[in-house]
This record gives sequence, C-alpha cells and structure tokens, in this order.
Amino acid sequence: MSTRIMKPKAFSLLKLLKILAVSALILALIVFILLPIYWMLKSSFQTNFEIRANPPIWLPSSFSFKAYRDVSVLLPIWSYMANSLYVSVATAVIATLFATSAAYVLARFRFPGAILILSIILFTQLIPSITRIFPIYFLIEDLGLLNKRGGLILAYVGFSMPYAVLLLRGYFKTSIPPEIEEAALIDGCNWFEVFGRVVLPISLPGVVAVSVFTFLGAWNDFIWASLLVNRGALKTIQVGLADFTGELGGVSHINAFMAACTMAAIPALIVFFLIQRWMVEGLSSGAVKS
Amino acid sequence: MVAPALIVSLLLGIYPVLDTFRMSLLQYDLLRIAKDGTPFVGVQNYLEVLKNPQFIQAFVNTILFTLIAVTVVTTLGLIVSQLLNLEFRGRGIVRVIAMIPWFIPPVVASMIWLWMFQTDRSPINQVLRETGLISSNIQFLTDTRSFAFFSIPMIAVSIVRVWGGLPFVSLFLLAGLQALPKDIYEAAKIDGAGQLQRFFLITLPLLRPVLGILLILLTLGGLGHFDINYVMTKGGPQGLTNLLSILSYQQAFIFFRFDLASAVSTLIVLLTAPLAIYYIVNQVKDQS
Repeated sequence: MSTRIMKPKAFSLLKLLKILAVSALILALIVFILLPIYWMLKSSFQTNFEIRANPPIWLPSSFSFKAYRDVSVLLPIWSYMANSLYVSVATAVIATLFATSAAYVLARFRFPGAILILSIILFTQLIPSITRIFPIYFLIEDLGLLNKRGGLILAYVGFSMPYAVLLLRGYFKTSIPPEIEEAALIDGCNWFEVFGRVVLPISLPGVVAVSVFTFLGAWNDFIWASLLVNRGALKTIQVGLADFTGELGGVSHINAFMAACTMAAIPALIVFFLIQRWMVEGLSSGAVKS
Repeated sequence: MVAPALIVSLLLGIYPVLDTFRMSLLQYDLLRIAKDGTPFVGVQNYLEVLKNPQFIQAFVNTILFTLIAVTVVTTLGLIVSQLLNLEFRGRGIVRVIAMIPWFIPPVVASMIWLWMFQTDRSPINQVLRETGLISSNIQFLTDTRSFAFFSIPMIAVSIVRVWGGLPFVSLFLLAGLQALPKDIYEAAKIDGAGQLQRFFLITLPLLRPVLGILLILLTLGGLGHFDINYVMTKGGPQGLTNLLSILSYQQAFIFFRFDLASAVSTLIVLLTAPLAIYYIVNQVKDQS
C-alpha cells in the first residue's frame, strides 16, 4: 500500500521507522525459515569431528562430500529413493487420471447424487487418516498386498484423490468457459472428444498442479509407508530415515544422516522450483473462493 | 467417469471409518484372537479407554497442541501474508523462500529440528546463551517442566509444526488478501484511517470467510496430527507430547489391541466429524 497521498513533511521519520520495522520482520521470517535448511546443509558438509563440537561451529572449515558417500554404506539409500520414486510417480499418474475425469463430471453436469458424491469426497479429505488406517491395513493384507508396492500405491491413491478432485473441480469451474465446449459440441464432437481434445489441453496447468501435489503427498508420507511396507528392501525413503532415529541419540553419524535428509528433500525441492511460479495464482483460483 | 473416484472414496474413505467403529465394539485383541475370536463387547472398549490416564493425557495434549499450533500459525500467517503483499524490492525471492518449508518432507523437518534441539549442540541454545537470554541450556525435548499448560517438549514440537505449516497458511491468506476490493482501502485512507485501523477494521472482517475455512482445515489437521510428534519423541517424555493418533497407532501396532485403538480412532472421528460436516454443508450450500 503506497503512502503517496500523505503530506511529504509528516512521513520522513515515520516512514524510516516503518521501513526498519518491516525489514526487521522480513529478516526474522527469513532466518526462521532458512535456519533449519542451512543447518541441515552445513551439517552434511562437515566432518563428523567438527559437527560434534560444543558450542556448534556455524561455518564448515572445509566442504566435504564424504558424508554423502558414507550414507550409502550406512543405509540402502538408493533403493529407498528408488522405491519412493516408483510409488510416488505411480500414485500421481493413477490419482490424476481418476481425479481428472471425476472432477470434470462434477464440475460440468448436474445430476442426482452429485452433491452426495461431492460430500463423500470432502468427508474423506477432512477426516484424519488415523481413523481409517486399521481397516485399510486389513484390507490390503487380505488382498495379499502387504509388503508390496501395489498396496502402498492403492492406499496413496485413496488418500490423495479427494484433494485432487476438489482442486481440479475448482479449476474446471473457474478457468474453462463452457462456451468453448458448446462450440465443440456443435461442431460434432461427443463429450469424450470434448474432454480429450478441448478441455484437457487447456486445463493442463491444473492437471500438472494436481499431479505434483499427489506426487508430493506420496513422497512425503510416513504413516502409511511405515505400516504397509516393513520389509527392508521395499522401504520408502521417509521410513528408512525414521529408522535411523535410534542412532541419533549417539550423534555417531549425524553428518551422514543430514546428508540423507538432504537427499530425501531434493526431489520435493526440485518439484517446488519447477512450480513455485504458478503457486500463488493456482491457489487463488482453485482452493479459495472469493 | 465419476465411478473410479467414487469407488476409491467409498472403499478407502467411508467404509474404513465405519469399519473402525465396528471394530471398536468388538474384542479385537490379536494376541487372543485365535482362542476367543472377536466377540461383541458393546461399549466396554470405550469405558476402558476413558478410564485410562494415558488417554486423558493424550486427549488434553491433542487439544493443547491443536490450540497452540493453530493460533500461532494463523497469527504468524496473517503477519507474513501482509508482508508478502507489500511492494518492496526482492519480494519475489522472499515469496519463494517463504514457501520452502512446505516442500520439506515432515520426516526430514522433524529430523533437522531434532538435531537442532540437541541440548548441547543446539544453535538456538548457543545464540540465546551468547545474547544472555538464558544462563543454562534449554533441554527442548527432555525437560518435563511446564509453563501454564504447555510443557517445553510440547512447545518444541509445536514450533516444528508451525514451521512446516506457515507457507500454506501464508499463501492461503495472501490469496485471500489479493481477492479483496482495493477501492475500500483508498476510501479508508482518504478518511484518515491508519494502517492498523485498516487492518483491524477492513482486512480482518473481509477475510473472515477465508479465515473460517483456514481455521477449520488447521483444526482438523491438528486433531489428527501424527508425523512430527511420532518421529521426534514417540509421544514422550512421560507422554508429554503424546497425541490421540499416536496412542491409537501404538495400541494397534505395538500392543495389538485393535479394539482399543479403534475406540480411540472413533473418538477422533467424533471430535472431527462435526467440524467437517459444518464445512461440507457450507461448501455445498455455496454451490447451489
């Protein structure tokens, strides 16, 4: 908000104070947000001797990538990462496919039961997952999918789909004028062609956003992965990391451990830098209604 | 075309909630299931749970955790969204930085903070000591003292929750701010309203619908929260950071008492369902 309307004499000191206060707040915010990230990175580059210094050393005396090599000896980190990548990509593809078709129908057509379906989807989205974890655990056990990637993907599709449907439905409703579809219908397309040839191409940003969120949901998950996959070779990176906590008490390999944390965060951060540009707009058009 | 999504929602959303309720009315003890089966026991599991002091503690903790996490993150989010809405040089980069914690997996965030909360090697303790704010190190995760209702470990895990949740809240509110009509502010400025007056008399009332949605979402998230507390403290020390979801998880997968676990989970449903239904009714009303 500009202060242009105020008289120039009155604000010189006041304005300076205001700028100082705002700068201090922004600085505090940046420190609060970045300190943990910095601490993780700098710990991963320090030697195991330096990292245990008391009081802690803020600037590594030398940059070493040794911790990143050590971590693959301590943990089967590459297979954890590969498992996470596999289930996250599969979840993103399946959930986006299901969600796109459902969201389109719910956004465009009025039919009996539409509100009920929407309510069911919303309810699933809002109630904490702990309240449905036991039956799903038994269900996946009965299907013979415990300790299989398929079981985990099934659970992830279930828990990420409501959000995907809601986000996309908002996107279809606000971003795509029905006139375009009507024109295509008059030109002789059927609804499936309209959806595939007209709607999908223009709504690509929304579809990409949804697949990103479902990917991240699966990549970041801990609780489902800790239950449904406990055999070593199939563990996801988040569960593999958490298994390491026992050792943290002794701080014996903390630099390798922080290197593992960095590696577990990198795919999510890559995704973030790809999409951060669209996030403010995407959120304002989809989730929040004015 | 709706069918796959609907089937998945019913099978993995609605049915499990109902089945959890059904299990809460049975004796479902995996260690006795071969001998006894799963006989119907009515509300006995609920009575057993409600009499358990661990449950009372976890229940109070869940309410307190939700209370501090929600109020602190919303207050900070209001400030941050105001800052991000100002025009200043470097705003783009500050906006990007403000979003980063959203993309740090919660387990990773818990691990980093666990390391930063190591009493002797904590950079936070170091700074506080050198600026003279404290004389002896804070034992973030092991000190069992409490201030008002809040124990130190509870405050520590709440900080991690706030750190991870702040980007979403700020962005949500920023989107809300950007949708507000600009001319009201111009009019208020001409009438001589100061910045604080404009915030409390115009911004806050206009943001009320957005804030309402946000508070419901955050409260639901808080009442079912699991990851950070489980990874950082497993609910300890002395149950000070234990939450209902952790209690339920441990009853099931450590003690194999799926009946007690289901009773706790059903109580979480009872706690969250009214808010969820209120939210759904409002959303659906907006549609028609």
